[in-house]
Amino acid sequence: MEKSTNNIGIETRRQVLSFSQIRRWPEFGVILAFLILLIIFSIFSSKFLTLRNITGILTIVSELGIMAIGVAFLMIAGEFDLSVSSVYALSGFLFVTLANRFSSPLAFVITLSIAAFIGFCNGTITLRAHIPSFIATLGMMLLLRGSLLAVTGGESVSYSSDVIMPTILTRFIGYGFRPSHIWFLLLTLLFSLVLTNTRYGNWVFATGGKKEVARAMGVNINKVKVTNFMLSSLMASLSGCIVISRFNLANASFGTGMELEAIASAVIGGTFLTGGYGTIIGVFFGAFLMGMMRTGLVMIGAPAYWYQAFVGAILIIAATINLKLRRLEM
Amino acid sequence: MQEITPLAKMVDIDKNFGAVQALKKVNVEIRSGEILGLLGDNGAGKSTLIKILAGVFPSDGGEIFFEGERVNFSSPKDARAMGIETVHQALSLVDVMSISRNFFLGREPTKKIGPIYLLDRKKMDGECEKAVTGLGVRVRSPNEFVSILSGGERQAISIGRAMHFKVKLLILDEPLTALSVRETKEVLRQIEKARDSGVSVIFITHNVYHVYPVAERFVMLDKGIKIGEVYKKDASPEDIIEIIATGKMPETLKS
Repeated sequence: MEKSTNNIGIETRRQVLSFSQIRRWPEFGVILAFLILLIIFSIFSSKFLTLRNITGILTIVSELGIMAIGVAFLMIAGEFDLSVSSVYALSGFLFVTLANRFSSPLAFVITLSIAAFIGFCNGTITLRAHIPSFIATLGMMLLLRGSLLAVTGGESVSYSSDVIMPTILTRFIGYGFRPSHIWFLLLTLLFSLVLTNTRYGNWVFATGGKKEVARAMGVNINKVKVTNFMLSSLMASLSGCIVISRFNLANASFGTGMELEAIASAVIGGTFLTGGYGTIIGVFFGAFLMGMMRTGLVMIGAPAYWYQAFVGAILIIAATINLKLRRLEM
Repeated sequence: MQEITPLAKMVDIDKNFGAVQALKKVNVEIRSGEILGLLGDNGAGKSTLIKILAGVFPSDGGEIFFEGERVNFSSPKDARAMGIETVHQALSLVDVMSISRNFFLGREPTKKIGPIYLLDRKKMDGECEKAVTGLGVRVRSPNEFVSILSGGERQAISIGRAMHFKVKLLILDEPLTALSVRETKEVLRQIEKARDSGVSVIFITHNVYHVYPVAERFVMLDKGIKIGEVYKKDASPEDIIEIIATGKMPETLKS
């Protein structure tokens, strides 16, 4: 009798433990939300779960997601980058202009280098001037966007160069799939690996978690931050080049407001606004959720304008749920 | 006892913060395998002194010798590489990271897979769990977040970490503040264990009763000046309090 009671006790504890283990996955919340939305959209629109629609969503998601990965990686190190949307537009413009004059691979390399330099400036300004990165990159965002508008006068330029980079970046490869989908997936896996399984990833967590501790334990926090600022800019630039290769047209107003969508993707994916915590797989699903809502809402017959309202609502709900889940754990 | 070369020696250390002179020609030495109590009221300059020793910031004058050689630390990393480690209650662990990630922060073991180096997570978890269990801290897994630990457990893990990485000089900044009676006893036991294994310990506190049971020697600071230095056999806790309160050594204790 005594023995059997004990067994029951152990059984129950195991079940509780296994549920708590699932719940402890940092991506738990966002994957749950992702599945719920997927089911809702599939029920209300028969065309939602078709290959054509899925690949269409993937195209938008990849472009937002690549930017969001960079933004989240920097957020985990405890800093913001609002300038990504302007870097995105500037990169598109530079890429087209340079490719039309020289060749697309050269244009691509130069564009990424300039983006990395902008990221370096963001980091250096933030650290040297001791101003919050939110302000430093807000300034950079306005500065770049304004310059771009002033220089181009709002005129678009169209792409008329070789097909090398566009093919590598985004030309169709069959069944509606594009290389950008693969890039997004590979970059997700790469950044995820770096974050969770390298020394550098551990330093990123520590720098965002408590920079004084990280410094005391021998981590060069300034180097970590500047590196992440550069990565954030690079990813935004890559995303800009992809979009322009798809549209064959660059305009100075491209990507306005996209920085907030990228931050929203990161937060929905479980990244802490305060830094020190987050996962790249979560960001992947966060970006997916955003892209899915954009098309899904239209397909179930809601006016396109509702998109922003839904993003706002989901963002608030996701941030609340994520915080609650972390509280249970900490 | 006097002839033994000290492990670390700080000579004529000056430090200014703007117009405020935080330290004035302070001389302190720490010998191998001893526990030194560094005492003084708030603002006496205790933390400033050890931050200079730990490489957090440079001094404005004076010299530091470690194992007989003149050293110049430009960052905590330099000091740590020499075997000097500070354990500060609020500044030793990152709350939102797991215990094992904290344990190896800055010294993560890696394994080579193809051309890349990845964290050896298995080794991290295994060694961390072994070390933590040896310290008497009960956790379900080394992947638990530090934020669930109590103050005593954090202190134990921080000290254990320093010991694990073969520290020579352990600096403890107010290690008993806000600990329960049982935790205090546990941490004191660990400090003695560290000393017994040959580690030198600088124990900083403003409460003489915290350090008196374990230390052999005491240095008192006041307003940036070293006001006294006594052996435990020569002074009672009350004598030490008297020195700190009056700011000078009584004639009977001067040697």
